[in-house]
Amino acid sequence: MTQARAAAAGRREARRIPWLQGIRRQTVVGWLFVLPALLFYAAFVLQPLALTVQYSLYRWDGFGPATWVGLANYASVLREPKLLETLFNAFRLVLFFSLIPVGLGLVTASVIHRVATGRLGAISRTVLFLPQVIPLVAAGIIWGRLLSLSGLINQGLAAIGLGDVARAWLGDFDTALPAVGIIGIWVLLGFCTVLLLTGMTKIDEALFESARIDGAGWSQEFRAITVPNLRHEIGVCITVTVIAALAAFDIVYVATGGGPGNATAVPGIQIYILAFLERQVGLASALAVVLVVLVLLVILPIQRLSREDVR
Amino acid sequence: MRVARSELLAGRALLAVLITITILPFLSIFTTALYPSGSVPVGLSWPAQPQWGNFVDAFKVANMSALLASSVFIVLAVVPISLVISTMAGFAIGLLRIPGARLLLLLFVFGLTLPFEGIVTPLYFLARQIGILNTRVAIVLPLIGLFMPFAVFWMRAHFVNMPSEISEAARVDGASAWDLFWRIHVPLARAPIASLGILMSVWAWNQFLLALVLVEDPTQRTMAGALGAFQGHYATDIPLLCAGTILILLPTLLIFVLFQRQVIAALLQGSVKG
Amino acid sequence: MVSIGFDRRTPPKWSGRLCALVVAAGLVAACAPPGAVSSPAGSQGAAATPAGSPSGTATAAGPSCGTDPVELNAYFETGFDLPFKLSEEFTKQFPNVTWKISQDQFTNLMSATPRLLAGDNPPDLIRLPSMVSLVKDNLLKNLDEYVTAFGWDKFPAAQLAQNRVATDGTRGSGSLYAAGLNYSLTGVFYNKQLAQQIGMTTPPATVEEFEGLLAKAKTAKLQPIMIWNATASGGGLAFPLQNLMAAYGPTQPINDWIFQKPGATIDTPTNLTAAQHLQQWIEAGYFPKDVNAIEYTDAQSRFGKGEGVFMFNGDWQNAGYDKDMSSNAGFFVFPPGQAGGSLAAMSAPLTYGIAAKAKNADCAAFFLNWVATNDKAREIDVAVGGSNPGGPPDLPVPQATAPITNETLAAGAEVAKDNGAMDFIANATGSIFAQGWTPELQKMVGDKQDAAGLLKAVQAEYEKELAQ
Repeated sequence: MTQARAAAAGRREARRIPWLQGIRRQTVVGWLFVLPALLFYAAFVLQPLALTVQYSLYRWDGFGPATWVGLANYASVLREPKLLETLFNAFRLVLFFSLIPVGLGLVTASVIHRVATGRLGAISRTVLFLPQVIPLVAAGIIWGRLLSLSGLINQGLAAIGLGDVARAWLGDFDTALPAVGIIGIWVLLGFCTVLLLTGMTKIDEALFESARIDGAGWSQEFRAITVPNLRHEIGVCITVTVIAALAAFDIVYVATGGGPGNATAVPGIQIYILAFLERQVGLASALAVVLVVLVLLVILPIQRLSREDVR
Repeated sequence: MRVARSELLAGRALLAVLITITILPFLSIFTTALYPSGSVPVGLSWPAQPQWGNFVDAFKVANMSALLASSVFIVLAVVPISLVISTMAGFAIGLLRIPGARLLLLLFVFGLTLPFEGIVTPLYFLARQIGILNTRVAIVLPLIGLFMPFAVFWMRAHFVNMPSEISEAARVDGASAWDLFWRIHVPLARAPIASLGILMSVWAWNQFLLALVLVEDPTQRTMAGALGAFQGHYATDIPLLCAGTILILLPTLLIFVLFQRQVIAALLQGSVKG
Repeated sequence: MVSIGFDRRTPPKWSGRLCALVVAAGLVAACAPPGAVSSPAGSQGAAATPAGSPSGTATAAGPSCGTDPVELNAYFETGFDLPFKLSEEFTKQFPNVTWKISQDQFTNLMSATPRLLAGDNPPDLIRLPSMVSLVKDNLLKNLDEYVTAFGWDKFPAAQLAQNRVATDGTRGSGSLYAAGLNYSLTGVFYNKQLAQQIGMTTPPATVEEFEGLLAKAKTAKLQPIMIWNATASGGGLAFPLQNLMAAYGPTQPINDWIFQKPGATIDTPTNLTAAQHLQQWIEAGYFPKDVNAIEYTDAQSRFGKGEGVFMFNGDWQNAGYDKDMSSNAGFFVFPPGQAGGSLAAMSAPLTYGIAAKAKNADCAAFFLNWVATNDKAREIDVAVGGSNPGGPPDLPVPQATAPITNETLAAGAEVAKDNGAMDFIANATGSIFAQGWTPELQKMVGDKQDAAGLLKAVQAEYEKELAQ
C-alpha cells in the first residue's frame, strides 16, 4: 500500500472509529485472524518440539524423576552402532523411496506426456496414484503377504523359472531393507509421476514441436527439454520422498517391526522402541532431534538447488 | 505429433506394466480375502468357493462399526476446525499482508519438514498431563496443529493470487476485515477449501502413529490405527485379515476415485504454487 | 504419512533466524526438568484400599466382588482363548461382574504394559509377561494381603515363587506381585505320522538321539523342526536354546539369571555348548528356510497342516493342536544330555497382575482365587488352556478331553518330580526378549552371529538394562 492509500484508509477508518488509528486496528484484526491457527500449531507442534529438545538433555524413564545428562544422549546416538545404524538405514531407504520414484517417475511422466495423452494417460494417472490414498499400514500388510515365502512375488519368480531365488524377502537379512524399499516405490511412484506430468504440461509445447520436427527421439527430448524445465517439480518430488524415507514408520512397523535383527531398524521405529518399550525417553528424544536436523540438512540444499530463478 | 510407431508401442507397454504392478497387490489381497477363514492361500488365485461372508465376519470381528464411528468422529472434529482456522490464517498472511507475515509463513512452512516422530513422545506426556490420554481428543487436537503448516500454506497460496481490486472495491464500500473475509473471499475460495478438506479427511483417516501412541483402545483410534491392532489379533486368520484390510482402505479409495480431480489438484498445486 | 507438496522460497537469513528461534525455545523450556509434574505412580508397596470397589474388609471368605455391579477392566493376550472363557464362566457364576476386555499381541503388550499401568484407567487385571521393572516403579499391586486372606500360602511354594519380587529387585522371594491362571509346560510336540515315517518309536532319551532323528527327517526330505522367529512374535528359537542349556548344564544358574540374582550370567561354558548345538542345527537346515519371517500363528498353522516333524512349544497351544491334528499330535519333554539325567523344562505361570491403582483390585484378586479353586474354572483351565491349574494341592487335576493334554499333564508331573521347572529366558527383563534374544537369534539364522557372540551380546544387553 502506498503512503497515500494508507493515509486514505486510515482516514476512512478514523471516520468510523475516531479514537483508533486505522493502521493499528487492521494489524490487530489481521493478527486475530492468524491467532487460532498459530495457537494450535504452537501448542501441539512447536511446544512438543521444544520439549523433545528438552527431554533429550535428560535421562528419564517417563515415570520417575529425570536426571540431567547434558549432551550424553547425543554422544550415544553418534557412538552406539545400533543407533547409528538406524541413520544409515534411513539413508539407504532414500535410495528406494526417493531416487527410484523420481527417476522412474520422470520416465513414466514423459512417456504419458508423449504417447498417451488420451484415455490411457488418464487411467494411468488415476491407477498409479491409488497407493497414495490408502493407509500406509494397509500397504505394509498387503506387501507383507506378497513378499512372504508363499506370496505372489515368489509365485511369479517360480513362473519365470527363477524359483530358486525364492525366499521370505522380509525375513532375510540382506533383502529385508530393499524389500521395504520396494513397498516405498509402490507407494510413491504415482505421486512423482503425476506431479512431474503436471509440470510437463506447463512446458511450452512449441519446444517439443520444434524438437520433433528436428527428428529428436524420446531420449534426446527427455534430456534436452523435459528434465531441465522440471527443476522445480523434481525438487518437490525429491523433498517429499526424502522426508518419507527418513521419517518412515508405518510401513516398517507393520511389515517387519524393525527386524530381522536390526536390518530394517529406521530412526522412526527406534524412537518408538526407545521411548515406549525401553523407556529411555531422553535417548529417544535425542535421536528424534538428530532426525529432525538431518531432514532439514538434506532438504535445505535441495530447495535451494531446485529454485527456479527464471519464473 | 509425429511419434515413431515403435516408441508408441514401447511407451504403452511400459504403462501397461506399471499399471499391472500397481493393481496386482490390491487384487491379490482381494482374492485372498475370499478364501475360507483360517486357510493360508498362495499368491494370486481365485478360490473354489468364494467366501463373501468373510467381509461381514471381518466387519463384526474387528468391531468395525465402532471403528467407523471413531474415525468419522475424528475426521469431523479435525477437518472443519482446521479448514476455518487455516483459511483465516491464510487470509491474513496472504491477503491482508499483516506485518510479520513473512516470518509467520516461514514458521508454518518449517512444520512441513517435521517428521511426526520428532514430537510424538512429548505429545504422549502432554496428553497424560492434561488428562486426555486414551481419548479421541488426544488425536484430534495435535492433528489440527499438525495440519496447520500445509493448510495455512495452501490457503495463503490461494489468497495471494486474488486480484486486489476485489478487496479495494469492498473497502471503498466500508467493509470490515471480517466482512471482506466471510462475505467475499470465502465464497470465492470454495474450490481450494473443498480440495483441502478432502485431502485432510484422507490424511486424518490414514493417520497411524499418533493413534498408536496416544490411544490404547483400538476402538478409539482412527481406522488405520486400528488396523495395526487388527493385524495383531487376527494374524492367524489370513483371509479375515485381508478382508479387514480391504474394508479399511475402501473409504479413502472411494473418496479418491470420486474426487480424484480435486485430490490430485490439491496435492499438486500446493507444490507448484507459492 | 503426510504426503506433501510445497515450495519454499527461503532467503538464507530467515532460515537461520528460525533455527535460532527453535533452539531458544528449547532452552527456555529447559527451566523445569521433565517428570517434575508428571503424575506419580501408584501407592507404595503395602495395600491401599481401592476406591469405589466393594468393601475391602474381610468377609468370611476374604475380599470379594460384592453384590453391586462391577466392571472389571482387563487386558488379555490375543490369540489365547483361556482368559476369555474364564471370564465368561465367572460372569455366569457372579452375574454382577461384567468385563471390559482389551487384547493385544504379546510383544505389543510387553511394550504397552508400563504405559497402561501408569495411565488414568489402569487395568484391574492384566497379562504380565515380565514384572521386575514394573514392581520397581510401583506400578503393580502387592498381593501379600490376598495371600493371607485367600490362603494361597497353602499352595505349593514353587507355584508362587516365580511371581515373588524381593525389595532388591530379584525374583524368587519376597512379596507376591502376580498370580498364575495356570502353570504351563513346554517341550517338543511331534507329528505322530511323520515321526513314524522316520522310524521314531519312542521319544528320544538323549539329545544325541534327538539329533539323530532330526538328521533322519532331513534325509527323508521332511521339515525337521517347525518354529517361529519373526520380530513381531519374538524369537521362538529361544525355546530349543533353553532346552539345550538345561540339557547340558544345571537349571539353577539359568533361573538365577532370569531372576536377576546379582552376579548371574548367561554366558557360561555349558550354555556355550548349548548355543553351539543350536548353531549346528541352523547350519544343518533343521529349521525352516524362512524362519525369520514366520510368526507364531503361521508356525502353528503350518505345523497343523503337516509341515514339520517336531515343534518346540508349550501346552497353551494344546487346544489348537487338538483341533488341527487330534490324536496325531504327540508330546515329550526335551531329553537330557546324558541318558538317565534329570528332566528339565520351561514351566511358568500364566501370569496376571493387578495394577497398583486398579479400581477393582479386590474383585480381581477374588477372580484369581476363583480360577485356582473353583471346579468349573479348573476344568476350563485344563480343557481350553491345556495346562495344570495349580492351586491347592488337595484339589484333583481335572481330566482332559484332548489326548495331547493328558500327555502334557503327565509329563508335567515327571518334570516336577525332578524339580526341573525353569522360567523363560525371554522373561529375564522387560526388553531382553525384543532387544536381546530375538535380534541375536535372527542374526544367527542369517549367519551373522555365532554361538559365543550370541551369549555375549545378550549378557551385555542384560547388564545394560539392569544398570538403568
